[in-house]
Amino acid sequence: MRGHGFLLAQYVPGNSLIHRTPLWLKFLVVAACGTASFLIVDWAVSLAVFGVMAGLFLLSGAGFKRLLGSLWMVTPILLAIGLFQWWQLGGPTAARIVLNVLVCVVAASVLTATTPVQELLDGVVSISKPFRRFGADPERFALTIAVMLRSIPFIAGAFADVRDSARARGLERNPRALVLPVFITTVAYARQTGDALAARGLGEADDATLGQRRE
Amino acid sequence: MNSISFNGVSVRVAVDTGDAPKTLLHRFSLELTERRIGVIGANGSGKSTFLRLFNGLVAPTEGTVVVHGRSTDSDVRRVRANVGFVFTDPLSQLVMPTGREDVELSLRRSVRNPKERTARAEAVLDRFGLLRVADQSIYELSGGERQLLALAAVLAVNPGVLVLDEPSTLLDLRNRELLRRTISGLDQQVIMSTHDLDLVLDMDRVLVVEDGRMVFDGGAAEAVAHYRALCAGAASELPLERWSR
Repeated sequence: MRGHGFLLAQYVPGNSLIHRTPLWLKFLVVAACGTASFLIVDWAVSLAVFGVMAGLFLLSGAGFKRLLGSLWMVTPILLAIGLFQWWQLGGPTAARIVLNVLVCVVAASVLTATTPVQELLDGVVSISKPFRRFGADPERFALTIAVMLRSIPFIAGAFADVRDSARARGLERNPRALVLPVFITTVAYARQTGDALAARGLGEADDATLGQRRE
Repeated sequence: MNSISFNGVSVRVAVDTGDAPKTLLHRFSLELTERRIGVIGANGSGKSTFLRLFNGLVAPTEGTVVVHGRSTDSDVRRVRANVGFVFTDPLSQLVMPTGREDVELSLRRSVRNPKERTARAEAVLDRFGLLRVADQSIYELSGGERQLLALAAVLAVNPGVLVLDEPSTLLDLRNRELLRRTISGLDQQVIMSTHDLDLVLDMDRVLVVEDGRMVFDGGAAEAVAHYRALCAGAASELPLERWSR
């Protein structure tokens, strides 16, 4: 199974200004970009914000190739969304929507490219500590992020494998031959991951909810 | 109390067709005290179901499983903390993008200090000769390195029991030998299912599983002979004449 396709840039060791920026500030920038994507109404502003975020990414030293790599994964979806929005609402609105999504992707990539995963998870645990009073387990929040980061490349790899298999059998134009195996593989992967996490005692639920008898 | 006991255990699962439940493991009782225990049997015989009983990944339909004094039914969390489980395919087990991060993930609950956690992870990786590939993507590692990494991630929390479900299936001869030497050097009580009969010969006690039943329980050499006889008998019933042309 391949696992190279990844929506967000993976951590690149370095000592740039972005690497040294406190984690809370990076989280804040990502949250601000997410919020701004709902508030910005002018595509030129979206373009400017995109330029700033891309500039921050390059400032981190992660490189232009990685920037393109993280954008490449969403290109087909954004192309489809952009064309539909252009047809429905016109060019400026389509450009704004597409650029706002790209801003979010680049902002998240700046965070992941300049923060070691364990530091990121420690940050998630710190942020989610207030939810402990409601019975939430901060480590589970962190584990959710970890599993998400792991699952995206796996699913992308599964799609690449299935596409190659379909090509080998002359079925590359059959959407069912592409979608169904990826779906089944993903469900199987989710079950395996659940078993693996349980076996390692990670994200363990209360004893009462476990060990249900099978029949 | 380094004993694992199965008392009147059976495992049945419901089937979609509405027929009677399918029996994956017929009722059996066992007391396991040996340090190295092998499990052999054909594909689909019930080996994996049996192994999953050790840490509560599968719960018995009837009977009880007690691992080192703790029941997998009422104390599953503590059982899992004490029973490490290694799957056939390490990629289904490794959660993080790199080896270092995956071992650190194992240590998150037991070692809160990030620096201490990193140091402990490095020590574990070094013990398995994986420190040089600690920051490589798990997809860039060889099959043997991945399996060793899965083993390292499980052993990082120092469980008392190690369960391995066909760990050598995806490995070449060299990596199988590496795995064999690594396992033989472990302090843990090891329970391992495998199709590698050479690996089984290292075991103190071997169980043979056939159609959900424990059909043999004894020394390694006798168990292998029994299993070979079973396979030879089953093979002779196959309609091979169809392929003889």
